[in-house]
Amino acid sequence: MDSGPALVSILQQGSTLIASIHTALDDSQLIRFQRDLIEQIGARRSRGVIIDVAALDVLDSFGLRTLRDIAEMARLRGAITVLVGIQPDVALAMVELGLGTGSIETALDLEEGLAYLGVGVTASTVNHRPEHKMSPWG
Amino acid sequence: MGAVTPPNRGAEDEGIDIPELISLVRRVVTPRVNDSATADDLVQETLARVLGAGDRVNKGMHGPYAIVTARNLISSLAKQQERQRRNQHRLADLQVAEHVDQQLLEGEKREAMATALARLSERDRQTLVAHEVNGQDTSSLGTQFGMTAGAVAAQLHRARARLRVEYLLVSEKVEPPTDRCRQVLFSLSAGDRRRQRELDTGRHLLECDMCVRISRPLLERTADDPRKDVIGIHRDADIVTARQAVREMASNVGFSRTDSTIIATAVSEIARNIVRFAEKGELSIEVVEDGRYGVQIVARDTGPGIADIDQAMVDGYSTYSGLGLGLPGARRLMDEFEVVSEVGRGTTVTMIKWRKEMHR
Repeated sequence: MDSGPALVSILQQGSTLIASIHTALDDSQLIRFQRDLIEQIGARRSRGVIIDVAALDVLDSFGLRTLRDIAEMARLRGAITVLVGIQPDVALAMVELGLGTGSIETALDLEEGLAYLGVGVTASTVNHRPEHKMSPWG
Repeated sequence: MGAVTPPNRGAEDEGIDIPELISLVRRVVTPRVNDSATADDLVQETLARVLGAGDRVNKGMHGPYAIVTARNLISSLAKQQERQRRNQHRLADLQVAEHVDQQLLEGEKREAMATALARLSERDRQTLVAHEVNGQDTSSLGTQFGMTAGAVAAQLHRARARLRVEYLLVSEKVEPPTDRCRQVLFSLSAGDRRRQRELDTGRHLLECDMCVRISRPLLERTADDPRKDVIGIHRDADIVTARQAVREMASNVGFSRTDSTIIATAVSEIARNIVRFAEKGELSIEVVEDGRYGVQIVARDTGPGIADIDQAMVDGYSTYSGLGLGLPGARRLMDEFEVVSEVGRGTTVTMIKWRKEMHR
């Protein structure tokens, strides 16, 4: 976020914020992301937040804790958070590590996340692709 | 003229016109010789010979005789120069004169090597000298010592490793601060992984500045091993570096993507513990084999240590704002897991994940 390509992008669709993490983040970058996102919820009067973590190489205890904190803070500010795009390998590692997402809602991908939040995306505007998005690990 | 030199008197008696002879010879010599000093020498030499042969030369023939003599002298001089030019290279001194300080340095090196050699055991020294200096091969050395050639080669390998360590110690003019140092340096020099593990060399290198300095040239010999990587852990960003490095190594030896992610997750947890609690440490990642492939991660720090490991291994126990899953979580993710910690000295976590053959 200081230089080079953005590590995270936060976009707005109506009353929903869509935050996409583009690459592996270290702990301080995650904390900054948390701060930015909570600020944006207030600034944009968002009711729902979607966090796309498909590009995260690993979701460890710290990463998950940060995301859970985001969800809790967002809830306190009146927004529902949905975590989308957890890769199958990452999900498996999380279970073995003993992590649950707790109170955060999850959805398979962005499309499902938007549907969960009841954001009006009709089938015509979204291409149904059999494959999920490109894997970050190729 | 006749009074110039006494010998000329005899010549004059024989009717030799010396001035004319001189100018004659000069006319012959000068165009053929570039150097005027050489030309003068040749003229002198010719005259001397003509006069010396005065009575053997027919009257009136002194002129032609002088000309022939001059030509002969010129050609023999040319031959001589030519020979010298041709053979010049034989005289060339290829050894550039050494600077005084260089000689001093060489001397110091030799002295250091001699001292280092003297520190070896009698047997090591004998074998090394016989092989390296006298060129005796390992099989004949084996016969001499009643060993197999392979055993001699192994002994040579150890002797060389020991010599490298001693040489570095002597040339750096240091004496190891602890008894352990020599053993650690030796195992590094010999590239003996098993011994390095036994001695926990990585931990020693975190503590002992002298060994770090001395071991650098030793380690450079064995660097660039794609099956081993050491990553310093100081900052948040190093955690990401470490987990990406381990993921790459795991997938290189055929771990499934799932298992690579699992290992990377465990590394992330352990590396974070170093950043949070110890501030400084390192993580070594190594491919291990015992019939199957595995990835071994050794995380070391010189932090405060863990007072109660059992408590730290309990889920949910956390002294910082984590989930308290660092150690117990990593243990669940890996196949082998061991924590050694000493309060005030630091913590070492060793963990291995074995490759499941069904994935291949």
